[in-house]
Amino acid sequence: MSVSRDEVQKIARLAELHVDDAALPALVEQMSRILDYVAQIAGVAATESAKPFIPGPAATRFRGDTAEPAPLAFPPARMAPAFRDGFFLVPRLGAFEASAQGTGEEGE
Amino acid sequence: MTAAADLPRVAADTADRLARAEPLKALLTPMADVRASLATQATRVTPAGALAGMPVVVKDNICTLEFTTSCGSRILEGYRSPFEATAIARLKAAGALIAGKTNCDEFAMGSSTEHSAYGRTHHPLDPERVPGGSSGGSAALVAAGAVPAALGSETGGSVRQPAAFCGVVGIKPTYGRVSRYGLVAFGSSLDQIGVFGRTVSDAARVLRAISGHDPLDATCEDRDALALPAEPENLQGFVVGIPKEYFPPDLDPGVRRACERALGLLKQLGASLREVSLPHTAHAIPTYYIIAPAEASSNLARYDGVRYGPRFDGAVDVRALYRSTRGQGFGPEVRRRILVGTYVLSSGYYDAYYRRAQRMRALIAQDFRTVFDRGVDLLFTPSTPSPPFKAGEKLGDPVAMYLADIFTVTANLAGLPALTLPIGRVDGLPVGGQLIAPAFLEDEMLEAAFALERVVPATGDA
Repeated sequence: MSVSRDEVQKIARLAELHVDDAALPALVEQMSRILDYVAQIAGVAATESAKPFIPGPAATRFRGDTAEPAPLAFPPARMAPAFRDGFFLVPRLGAFEASAQGTGEEGE
Repeated sequence: MTAAADLPRVAADTADRLARAEPLKALLTPMADVRASLATQATRVTPAGALAGMPVVVKDNICTLEFTTSCGSRILEGYRSPFEATAIARLKAAGALIAGKTNCDEFAMGSSTEHSAYGRTHHPLDPERVPGGSSGGSAALVAAGAVPAALGSETGGSVRQPAAFCGVVGIKPTYGRVSRYGLVAFGSSLDQIGVFGRTVSDAARVLRAISGHDPLDATCEDRDALALPAEPENLQGFVVGIPKEYFPPDLDPGVRRACERALGLLKQLGASLREVSLPHTAHAIPTYYIIAPAEASSNLARYDGVRYGPRFDGAVDVRALYRSTRGQGFGPEVRRRILVGTYVLSSGYYDAYYRRAQRMRALIAQDFRTVFDRGVDLLFTPSTPSPPFKAGEKLGDPVAMYLADIFTVTANLAGLPALTLPIGRVDGLPVGGQLIAPAFLEDEMLEAAFALERVVPATGDA
């Protein structure tokens, strides 16, 4: 196996993705299969000398740095799950606050 | 072009045809919404436009104002975009009728349209088989004769593979030929909007309408709309390369026969055939399945239950909200790709996977440049390694599914234009032949396609 159960759980936390315990064994097996398969390019020595390739315009023309109203057919409030007074509503930042209190790094 | 007085009838006829195609499960928009919107659009259409009265269905990862945009995912169920894609605005300006949104693999990740949260689309000739993917709904509706053309999107072959499976024409333009504004991002360095048509002409006309510079997309090249070539009498002077890596010993014998017949016809049309080599082809699928998931893991970070789409609630804090919404909102293939993408970008693995894949991508692109620099105008290959496979056949093995794109991903990695057209059938199932051209030479690719389409028996067994 290329990846362990613990590694998949760690990657899922990094990706902010809940994974059921019941789904983990199959996921570990499938991710290992995929990662073993794509790792075959490691054996190609020539890749060391090649410069990365990105398609698209060689030079990007930037738009003027001026603020303009977004031409939306309706405001963001209509597509947000919860919205009030110009803000997106979310639950409290419990995990972050607990972490900050533990380190004593928070200010007044 | 359709006269203004005929547009209401065209709109009603289109809705009737789409309703008859409902057993395919190819359309995500409810028929009542399609019928109402088409009737309204028919009163507002640009009657002098190049596509006046042409109904076009649109893959559900391209933003429209008329219909919801779910990307085949529960995480965007019911999402209505506040803006429309540039490609849609241009279709409407050309007089086309936007006839509904089509089923697709979730966020365009898949090769069979089985990874849609709204059920799988059936192949129009055999309901037990897949129409290909990820733009399977668009391909199926064109093949069923419900519409003459459709929009899809390409990241690794998601227009050409289903077009080949369904026996229609599919074009993936050069990266930068068509604006990506309003195309929901999957792999931003690979994504392009592509077109389906019953004929090369229908597909080419739609491609012309949506192409050209767009200041809203910084990766869209500063070029005019594609100029369509005249249909040539013959292909005298064309040098067609046959890359040997695309004809492996295990290629389906029926696909091989159809390709050999098409190559014989190209020769009869006056083209010179030359065997060439693209030596890094074997590494294209591993390269793609590092780069595309890496880009996807970044692009899909925005779906968190805060700004749009449904929220899977009950979370006690904001991170639990993110995890719960994403865990329940994404399907298994999208979750796998986000995890693989996060893994290959994470500390300790970035150099071994992502950086190495980027370098391999450069070698794959260089292979094409070398061949084209040596006087080859176009490449001809099979579009897929086999005819359409049965539903469920590859669902249990992600890598087996990924290999369905083995002949298409290279053009995406190199940013090149490519086209598939039907070149015969095997046991009654369609086979596609692929043309690949140098960047921004879609016109030469279309010339060859026009000529080959005229002589190839698209529906006869090879």
